[in-house]
Amino acid sequence: MKRLTLTLIIGFAAVCSAIAQLTGVHGTVIGSDDEPIVGASIRVRGSNLATTTDINGNFSLAGNLENTILEISYIGMVGREVKAEAGDMVIILSEDKQLLDDVVVIGYGSSKAKDLTAPIQVVKGEELLQTPSSNALSGLQGKLAGVNVINGGAPGASPTVRIRGIGSFSNSSPLFVVDGMFYDNIDFLNSNDIQEMSILKDASAAAIYGVRAANGVVIITTKKGSIGQERTRVTYNGYVGVQKASNVLELCNASEYATMMLEGNYDAYSTYFKAAIDRWGGSYADADFHNWKYIADSDWYDLMLRDAVITDHSLSIDGGSNSAIYSVGASYTYQDGVLDTENNFKRINIRGSVDFDATNWMKVGFKAILSNSEKKNPNNAAWQKAFNCPPIIAAYDDLNEDAYPIKYGSPASIGYGSNFSNPLAVANYYDSKSEIYNVLANTYADFTIIPEKLQFKTSFAYNFLLNSSKEFIPQYLVSGTQQQTTNSLTKSENRYNDYVWDNVISYNDRRDVHKWGLMAGYSMREESYRYLWGKTSNVPEGKDEYHYISQGDASGATVGDAGTTYRGQSYFARANYSFDNRYLIMATFRADGSSKYQEHWGYFPSVGAAWVLSNESFIEGRPWVDFLKVRASWGKLGNDKVAASDGFASLTSGVGASGVAGNTTIAGVQDSSYFSYLAWETVDEWNVGFNYITLNNRLNIDVDWYHRMTNKAVISPLLPFSTATLAGNHGKILNTGFDISANWTDAISRDFSYNIGVNITTLKNRVKDLNGQTMIRGGKTVNWVGHEMNSFYGFKCIGIYQTEAECAADPLAVQEDCVPGDLKFADLNGDGKLDANDRTTLGSYIPNLIYGINLGARYKNIDLSVTMYGQAGAQMFNRKRALRYSSWDYNFDKAQYDNRWTGPGTSNTDPSASALMRPHNVSDQRYSSYFVESADFFRIQNITLGYSFRNIKMGNYTLPGIRLSVTADRPFTTFKANSFSPEIADAAAQGWDTEVYPMTSTYTFGVKIDF
Amino acid sequence: MKTKFFLYTLIGLLGALAPSCDYLDKMPENSVPTQEVDYTNLTNMYQPVSGMYAKLRTSGMHWVIIELTLIREQDVMSGQYNGSLYDKTDKYTYDDSFWGYNEIWMQYYNMIKCANSAIKALHLYEENCTGEDLARNHAYQGEVRLLRAYAYWRLVEAFGDCTVLLDNNQTDMHRSTKESVLRYALKDLQYGIDNMRKVRPNEAPDGHLGSATAYTAMLLAAKINCFLGDFAKVETLTDEIINSKKFELFADYYNMWKIPGKLCNESLLECQCTDYGNGSGDLVDADQWFNCMGPNTVGSKRADGGAWANGWGDIGIIKDLRDWAAARGETVRATTSFLMADAVTPDGDYIGPQTNPVNTDCWNGKAYTPTNQLTPGRTKYGTNNNIRIFRYADALLMNAEAKVMLGKNGDEPFNQVRRRAQMPEITNVTLRDIKDERRMEFVCEWGDNYTDLRRWGDCATVLADLNWTPEAEYFPLPFSQYTSAQGEDLIKTPVEEEIDLAD
Repeated sequence: MKRLTLTLIIGFAAVCSAIAQLTGVHGTVIGSDDEPIVGASIRVRGSNLATTTDINGNFSLAGNLENTILEISYIGMVGREVKAEAGDMVIILSEDKQLLDDVVVIGYGSSKAKDLTAPIQVVKGEELLQTPSSNALSGLQGKLAGVNVINGGAPGASPTVRIRGIGSFSNSSPLFVVDGMFYDNIDFLNSNDIQEMSILKDASAAAIYGVRAANGVVIITTKKGSIGQERTRVTYNGYVGVQKASNVLELCNASEYATMMLEGNYDAYSTYFKAAIDRWGGSYADADFHNWKYIADSDWYDLMLRDAVITDHSLSIDGGSNSAIYSVGASYTYQDGVLDTENNFKRINIRGSVDFDATNWMKVGFKAILSNSEKKNPNNAAWQKAFNCPPIIAAYDDLNEDAYPIKYGSPASIGYGSNFSNPLAVANYYDSKSEIYNVLANTYADFTIIPEKLQFKTSFAYNFLLNSSKEFIPQYLVSGTQQQTTNSLTKSENRYNDYVWDNVISYNDRRDVHKWGLMAGYSMREESYRYLWGKTSNVPEGKDEYHYISQGDASGATVGDAGTTYRGQSYFARANYSFDNRYLIMATFRADGSSKYQEHWGYFPSVGAAWVLSNESFIEGRPWVDFLKVRASWGKLGNDKVAASDGFASLTSGVGASGVAGNTTIAGVQDSSYFSYLAWETVDEWNVGFNYITLNNRLNIDVDWYHRMTNKAVISPLLPFSTATLAGNHGKILNTGFDISANWTDAISRDFSYNIGVNITTLKNRVKDLNGQTMIRGGKTVNWVGHEMNSFYGFKCIGIYQTEAECAADPLAVQEDCVPGDLKFADLNGDGKLDANDRTTLGSYIPNLIYGINLGARYKNIDLSVTMYGQAGAQMFNRKRALRYSSWDYNFDKAQYDNRWTGPGTSNTDPSASALMRPHNVSDQRYSSYFVESADFFRIQNITLGYSFRNIKMGNYTLPGIRLSVTADRPFTTFKANSFSPEIADAAAQGWDTEVYPMTSTYTFGVKIDF
Repeated sequence: MKTKFFLYTLIGLLGALAPSCDYLDKMPENSVPTQEVDYTNLTNMYQPVSGMYAKLRTSGMHWVIIELTLIREQDVMSGQYNGSLYDKTDKYTYDDSFWGYNEIWMQYYNMIKCANSAIKALHLYEENCTGEDLARNHAYQGEVRLLRAYAYWRLVEAFGDCTVLLDNNQTDMHRSTKESVLRYALKDLQYGIDNMRKVRPNEAPDGHLGSATAYTAMLLAAKINCFLGDFAKVETLTDEIINSKKFELFADYYNMWKIPGKLCNESLLECQCTDYGNGSGDLVDADQWFNCMGPNTVGSKRADGGAWANGWGDIGIIKDLRDWAAARGETVRATTSFLMADAVTPDGDYIGPQTNPVNTDCWNGKAYTPTNQLTPGRTKYGTNNNIRIFRYADALLMNAEAKVMLGKNGDEPFNQVRRRAQMPEITNVTLRDIKDERRMEFVCEWGDNYTDLRRWGDCATVLADLNWTPEAEYFPLPFSQYTSAQGEDLIKTPVEEEIDLAD
């Protein structure tokens, strides 16, 4: 990750002897290594006159160039401004290690990195390619301070992205702006489609996106050609690899499970084990049940998992001339799932982009991406069922006569209740598929009214997404409680039709040491969503081609539909001013109107300022500083991703609101006559930071402190006496912390260079207010003023009762009839009773610290990069264990067996086997810190080793380059939680670990060829 | 020139489009605002009433309500036997943070709120009604009021003192004494008695088969008066039901609980469910109400040899009652009420043995629907059966009790119930006989056996072995309620007051 910021000043003045009339210039542009630079751009300041260097680095320009300044630029080089002069000019460009001169995309415009007053981070498309994943965002993990990416293991999984914490009870996902179109995720993009991403972390940068910006903004520019690139470039990039489930949780085997259950309660449970041995073999001849033998000994996770393939191929062609540039590409992605059933993800993308200078005052362009993907979903319910299913059940059982079509073994056959299922059957008897068609098209016209100064751009972006999904449950039987007597087919179509029309006028000028810019714009948008579904049963089985609703029972078929349409219109403006490259100030304002709320209009201002100390005379040129800028900003952001209809008194109708009369229903209505006046959530954010570059441009340090207060947070407490909730703007949430990054880049010689980067994010999250209430409970977590939002809630374990005497002496143990081996809870209010008032918060899934370490080295043709990543201060709730309250005879994980209390002094953290079968310890009313585990982890995120061949002669043709690489993605992770993964990507899960797809380690071999 | 012309045109066009003010005035999709209902269209007038019956089904029939109601009966144990909060409830030890109590509280208030807005809607229709329509409107209001009174009655049975919610936006949530609440409920019922049709629910007109009638209101009013100890009123109300000659006991006690007994002439109120007669597709049912009471054992088989679908086994009937019934010579009612483990039912379903010696080996037979009565294709326990709420046998036994309490002879109504149960008749029945008869007749029906013990003052003696204390008579105020925004009102001393019937 390269860090962008401000300038390296090139104090290099072109000295020239004035000649009366300069009618043309010519010269050469070379790099500091004396190699010519091909395709560097030379522009005459203040005019349209421009050219690019040829294959030898030469250029020439004609015209009256007396007293003009030439601006020379090339990607990755520090740009220069040189006075035009006669004779053979030689211009040397040096490599821009800190990328201060790069142009950064900001909202509705762009800026040089050194001129920014806000911390904006840029990620180039190439950096995303390092991570072999079907989702481009996965590659961000561990690379940026302030950006928390939570990956999932399922094929095609969409990572959860959080920028600077969680500031909303409803939705904390950032806004993705792809070529001007607003998105909630970028699942439809291939990493190869992306030119670059700009991550707007603070309010002064994001506020230009107003009501959608509260959770941060990620601007994504898809690939386009570059001006003056005369040679057509064809690139193939691809990899193949294998994914393996990592950190697979170990469950108890048959004999360990038997030990737990029979130590717990021999009388109640021995019948199961005898029945299992009678049915599938083994022996219970021994008087000591510890020595019983079981033939059936199913390791469910092992039976469910496999190695799975992942592959990606993309081809890109781009080029252009001085008046037109283009880029076209196609890609194919395939990812199989590690769950051993049909679950996979494939995507084919086609994209094209063209930009054309139609006249000298108008530029037009068009971009389109077509994405076609298909996702076969796994049945994640199988993971929890596998955790629960006793290992003494045979996976397959020919004695199970009723079973069809596959003779799965059934827990019911030896007496387990309706909560038990054969997990293989749960995973297998499931056919859920989504086909997603996504078209993003964008067309624009850019008018130059005053050259170099006044521009007007109008652009129209359109998005169409169709998600056509099918869920088919075949007819099957494993047992009376695990069966589907008639198959069922559900089909649905989700359509999204969105457009955004942006109109932006901008003016930039400079005079002496003053530089200023003004931008004003108007935007209108509409987002339409329509949903249509149908359901039937008794469809002919066997082939996908039969899966039509009209093939099923007409009498039982049902349909339904839903939809939303929201509109928005906005006015926005930005002004920036720079004095002598020392003092920078920027202010933005957006007035946003939305049809979603009663309160249509919201106003979002921001202001940012920076002081470039290194350009001050008292610092400039000091050896200890190459560049130093301090910055501060404030802004207000909005979040309209909260439920809209709650504020609407409405009638409920349909079957659920209709009474029955005999064999029919009578149309009924129910009136939910509650009304709340909803307004959008707003965030007030402060940011203070600095950027310091020193040690000869090798060390770049960026530090920012942020303070984000969400006001009017929408939360839905229960209505009085009701199970119904009503949303209201009741909450205040604070997120505060530091984003710190330090990067060291150095070249020892021309052959050897290396870089080391570290990024650290700290986060402190607190609920500050709940409209006077101290606490609002949700289904999984609690929000309590003064605590982390969405905290787990329950009793605090302070140990294990060791002896009878200890139990007798403790009034809580007496009240609860505790025995040695039971959990000991803290009597927090000290009243000598254990009751609801003794519950407290037990931590939250929000990490307090995230860190990433990036190492890179290049020696001649070999390059190596290593990324490490970790988090601390996060907790997760082990729902897999806690679910035991619903059946005392569920299986255990191995750690519960290994660490169990077996007598005084054996454990002060883990209860005895029998305790795990008593409601004092395990109950949905008794959630305690025993079930809350640390979600801290450290991971070697990615290791990539590459070898490049350059300029390979093939007869007359010279192949510019081939790079071969091997990658190990997530090869090693360490954590304490009893879980597949401490990362729970599903935001709705709120840190509950239950039906979580295992994480994978991926090993790939990649090839990149430039033709 | 061309440039400028082009640009001015474009900017002009923009200016014209941009500030179109009504662009943002977009109605929400797929939602009908309350104020746009056409109250002059009287064909829709029954809709809020039908919605109320749906609320009875979706709120009033929540599985945890029936479980927590039944396990406080003397003869019922919790299938979740093992020290759970259900088990503790069974033994009259209450943890006020148990979600189940809170659920009961909230679900019944959901019904009450639904009724409040339904009555508001009916008033708006009423303004457009004359003649026949006006009578219909009042009858409909009677139905909603009956269901509202039912919710209050059930709340008092569970919690004793509770809040009367006159308006859904009410902010004063203080509780009234249970007597105040019941007197308020009786006013709703009186309105129903005065305005609803005097027909049997299964002869209800306008296609509203099985809807509540004036007699339903009379029965509930009688039950409440029993509770309040006003036996003169009980006698009057039950006499009117009996003398209407519209009701009779269904001859086959066993099948009265099954599909053949749906909406029979004994029925005064049922929560109706249907599968539309189809073997697949939509099911309008009370979710887990039947299923939570279904047995869960190994090796059960459907009568047709097919695979049996186990329930949750949460309601067990203890051996004491079975022994007592056998000693009394009970036959029909024992076979019907006791769904035994390791036994074949009269319809041929085999219930497997209970392998766990500490759990129940007998379940609630009144919630059992034989698999051969299910619509072919359906497997869920109890599918397509209705939930019986009020029945004529209760009117007869209350009538007998009232008569005995008033020093009259109650033999006739009493013996009607005995005859149907194939039990010998008794002359000069005493209160003791009635107590025993009710214990057998109403076991596992909405907790009547526990409510009876309370109103007779028998808890302290009958439930002595089960640690019953006077404090355990009612469930505690749920923790989630008294710690919520309205908590301060709720913990105030309940007020004894006369509450006028709100609109």
